[in-house]
Amino acid sequence: MREDMIICRCEEVTYKDIYQTVEHHQCSSRETKLRTRAGMGYCGGRTCRTFVDQIVAEVYGEPSGDAIPLKYRPPVRPIPFKTMGGK
Amino acid sequence: MMKDCLIIGAGPAGLSAAISAAQNGVDVTVIDEFMKPGGRLLGQLHEEPDHVWWNGIEEAQKLFDEVLNQSIDLKLGTSVYHIEKANDNWLVHTNEGIYRGKTLLVAAGAAERSIPIPGWTLPGVMSIGAAQVMTNVHQVKPGHNGIVIGINVLSLAIARELQLAGVHLQGIVLPPEHLLTKGVSHPMDVFQSLLHLTHLAPSPLLKWGGLLAGKSAFIQRLSLQMYPKNGFKLWNISVQMKRVVTEIVGHEQVQGVKTADLTASGDIVPGSERTIPVDFVCIAGGLYPLVELVGVAGCPFKYIPSLGGHVPIHDERMKTPVDGLFVAGNITGIESAKVAKAQGHLAGLSISEALGKLTENAEIKRAIEHIEKTREKALIQFHPDIKKGRKHMETIAADFQKKEVSGQ
Ligand SMILES: Cc1cc2nc3c(=O)[nH]c(=O)nc-3n(C[C@H](O)[C@H](O)[C@H](O)COP(=O)(O)OP(=O)(O)OC[C@H]3O[C@@H](n4cnc5c(N)ncnc54)[C@H](O)[C@@H]3O)c2cc1C
Repeated sequence: MREDMIICRCEEVTYKDIYQTVEHHQCSSRETKLRTRAGMGYCGGRTCRTFVDQIVAEVYGEPSGDAIPLKYRPPVRPIPFKTMGGK
Repeated sequence: MMKDCLIIGAGPAGLSAAISAAQNGVDVTVIDEFMKPGGRLLGQLHEEPDHVWWNGIEEAQKLFDEVLNQSIDLKLGTSVYHIEKANDNWLVHTNEGIYRGKTLLVAAGAAERSIPIPGWTLPGVMSIGAAQVMTNVHQVKPGHNGIVIGINVLSLAIARELQLAGVHLQGIVLPPEHLLTKGVSHPMDVFQSLLHLTHLAPSPLLKWGGLLAGKSAFIQRLSLQMYPKNGFKLWNISVQMKRVVTEIVGHEQVQGVKTADLTASGDIVPGSERTIPVDFVCIAGGLYPLVELVGVAGCPFKYIPSLGGHVPIHDERMKTPVDGLFVAGNITGIESAKVAKAQGHLAGLSISEALGKLTENAEIKRAIEHIEKTREKALIQFHPDIKKGRKHMETIAADFQKKEVSGQ
């Protein structure tokens, strides 16, 4: 397998980045996201969240539970700063 | 202005809910970010076993006509980015301002799962649903000569639509085997997953597969060994369960794919590697419920793979444990458009009941039965265990209610 394959397209995080982070830190999806930025880009993790969860499940052994591993937070769509009250 | 009910999503579920609620005198606003009403219906075109064509654009038009008939307020091109509760009412934040409602139905549908493959970020690589929207909604060909990676009911149905639109396809093949393609890249897994689809079309592949359903693992293995490497033709598209794309290649855009033949046990046949020229690639990894907004609203979830993954807990009347929050359609589990429509109809009635505008229980019972009948007859079944998944959710919701009542 090509380890330089991109997993998070928005932030251009590779398979290797994510795999090694989880392996080295033995961490959850949330911590992996904070460490690598996978799932923090423009699409809000819509494309890569399941991949990050799968890698974490495999390497760290955090199985899919009923709670959503990478919590959804507003805004769930990209919005301009002025919508949030900016100028 | 305060509405009785806000509905997010103008797909078959949201529109049907708006209609049945409005018929009971509920004052509704439907919000959708797309510029046309109909949701995923707009891309659908398939032939039912009785040779009648299911034309999603026409179905969407019928619902839209009824919406106009009932003078239902419809806001298109309006994207919801946040929902919250304030003083017992719902506040729905959109790029067009804030909407307020006493009850809220989230009918946001499903999102597509992708499959990472080396080269999948090149322009010209798209999800199978994007190819469907380009072709059937915008009437633009995604390319002239493509290949589909991922063999499942959605990719078979959409490949057919591409073919009807005159787009040439090299075939439907498997993704490479790695940690993220478990269950969708091994010939045997894919072979077995297709066995429940034999009713889809009177084709050699599926008839042949149908003969094998229920046979021993040994017989299945044997038949997979005999499965021709060029695949079987389904509506003249070759479905190649023993060919893999290992990489998508191109300079600045897709120019080709590297493929190889597989043995029945999933190993690459040495010397079979070659590069096929293509100008677009579709990736089909299946669907999952688009639950982001109910997540933000604080609704609890249950992980049920046969429904597509994490689904909001809801009872058989489409009510969630969050007061005044309802769900319907693919957000509750991946099923066909007809089921989504039936669920929407029920949700509209439940909302009317919650608002005190409907007291007749018989109508709600009939709506529940109608969903079950529709499910029974559904042509497109995304998961063979859908009914078990639905039952599971019913018991979860009932347990949840008991706990609430006893104050645990
Ligand atoms: C690519 C694809 C292809 C499919 N093909 C078929 C098929 O051929 N046959 C079949 O029976 N089923 C198919 N399905 C399943 C399909 O989801 C159902 O048929 C049906 O359309 C589900 O209806 P729904 O009302 O639940 O959701 P949808 O029809 O998906 O409608 C949901 C609507 O909600 C809107 N929305 C979502 N989030 C927001 C937001 N934040 N703000 C504003 N609006 C929002 C969307 O724009 C959309 O219009 C397909 C699904 C997908 C994703």
